[in-house]
Amino acid sequence: MEAAGPYDRARALNAFKLGDVTFYWITRACAISVLLILGGIILSLIAGAWPAIKAYGLSFLFASRWAPSAEPPVLGALGPIYGTLVTSAIAMLIAIPVGLGIAIFLTELCPQWLRRPIGIAVELLAGIPSIIYGMWGFFVLGPFMADTFQPFMIRLFDGVPVLGSIFAGPPSYLSLFNAALILAIMVLPFITSISVDVFKTVPPVLKEAAYGVGCTTWEVIRNVVIPYTRVGVIGGIMLALGRALGETMAVTFIIGNSFRISSSVFAPGTTISAAIASEFAESDGLHQSGLILLGLLLFVLTFFVLASARLMLMRLKKKAGD
Amino acid sequence: MSDLSVSMSAAGGPVPSMALPEAPAKVTARGLNFFYGENQALKNINLTLGTHRVTAFIGPSGCGKSTLLRVFNRMYDLYPGQRATGQVMLDQTNILDPKLDLNLLRARVGMVFQKPTPFPMTIYENIAFGIRLYEKIPKSEMDGRVEKALRGGALWNEVKDKLSASGLSLSGGQQQRLCIARTVAVRPEVILFDEPCSALDPISTAKIEELIQELAEDYTIAIVTHNMQQAARVSDKTAFMYLGELIEFDETSKIFTSPSDRRTQDYITGRFG
Repeated sequence: MEAAGPYDRARALNAFKLGDVTFYWITRACAISVLLILGGIILSLIAGAWPAIKAYGLSFLFASRWAPSAEPPVLGALGPIYGTLVTSAIAMLIAIPVGLGIAIFLTELCPQWLRRPIGIAVELLAGIPSIIYGMWGFFVLGPFMADTFQPFMIRLFDGVPVLGSIFAGPPSYLSLFNAALILAIMVLPFITSISVDVFKTVPPVLKEAAYGVGCTTWEVIRNVVIPYTRVGVIGGIMLALGRALGETMAVTFIIGNSFRISSSVFAPGTTISAAIASEFAESDGLHQSGLILLGLLLFVLTFFVLASARLMLMRLKKKAGD
Repeated sequence: MSDLSVSMSAAGGPVPSMALPEAPAKVTARGLNFFYGENQALKNINLTLGTHRVTAFIGPSGCGKSTLLRVFNRMYDLYPGQRATGQVMLDQTNILDPKLDLNLLRARVGMVFQKPTPFPMTIYENIAFGIRLYEKIPKSEMDGRVEKALRGGALWNEVKDKLSASGLSLSGGQQQRLCIARTVAVRPEVILFDEPCSALDPISTAKIEELIQELAEDYTIAIVTHNMQQAARVSDKTAFMYLGELIEFDETSKIFTSPSDRRTQDYITGRFG
């Protein structure tokens, strides 16, 4: 074989260079397309929502009457906004302690042989399509809760101020509470898997030091592991919250799609995404524009929640890098 | 071993005059073996830590000296698959007894690690935290205990005006002294140092060495170090370990002037390998 001369070498390098440039532009185009799609979605949301913004202005946010078939349609989004916030709040109330509990058990307490099965189960939970959660909630969980848990709570708090009106009857298959429960199950894997990841960032020697002064496992977790990972855990919770706010299909199945605001969590309600999903197909004109405006609201809400989650996770990474 | 050392000292020169009288035993290991899964890391270790003495452990990386230290407070128990056989007595208690209360053991046998490990809390809390695990005492008394511990760690003068600052805001050397103060605060009987200066600059190292010698008045001390000058400076007795075995254990002055075993000789003169 003949050794390549300097001329050949230069030509070979040139060929590579062309490949490099092409590759650079292809990947760059892919990356930019994401920005374009995102921008396009925001613009079309704003454009679609514009007639509703002009017609209702700020009162859209604070009025609770939703009468799309009136002439002209009366649209107030307070019901869906209320439903979204309440279901997400209840879901987080349930999912945070359970999710953190699983994470702590998996990283600190679980015997080695049980670690994988539980870890895989949690991941599978995240893989179940939301429509299946919806069906399960509609056919199994809803009736079960309406027959057992709801009557129990209603009787328990009957006549108690405040709590009595939060847990007021009659029991219902379709309710804010059932939707929140399904949401809690759906976001559980997020909280657990992120918490497991950040718990693993605690240096073993720090835990050993805590055990070394005689801490019990609980004391180590409470005083060292949780404070050390606080920011990351909060970040994981925010990601879960973002998911809970936007979840549509399962919620639409079991929330009852009622725009009326009720103080009871056992009453039917609706969320922003459920309202859009259940009405969009038959809407037109101002009604449709109102639904798009609802979508824009949800977009802004989840954007802020997710942005703050990212920010917190970034701060944690910085801290770990020190 | 003692016969050997007598004959060696007769051949190698006079026994150094600085040798301390034999101290009563604080920790005694008898026939100690240690396993990481199938791997045996310690082989039939027999040795005694004298009360209020500083015992240094030297030897090449992987010789088992840190492992031995982690047996003394059962730190290995945190990890499945690690186990020890034999007997290690702390006064009248068998440390290896599976029924032993580990939290109490670790209160009696404190540990300072290679890297400073302040907890993610204030300087004050770093100290008070450990105390609170065992005692419920009023704030005023706690203030006194924290000050005493920080003085014990030779850190008080540097931090007395910023007790509410984060423990992480201190320099590496200060953090390590904070960890020593934290260990002292729970009033242990034995303190284990696992290469306490390997992440520190020479000035911080000197401070900590000085501190270790002061601490020996009240505590029984075991220190693992890669720095042979350090072992020579701070310890009363030195153990040389190699491949999981205790090769030689004697007065520090003797180990560094006239070791009995060729391998010890080779290691301390840097000819090892």
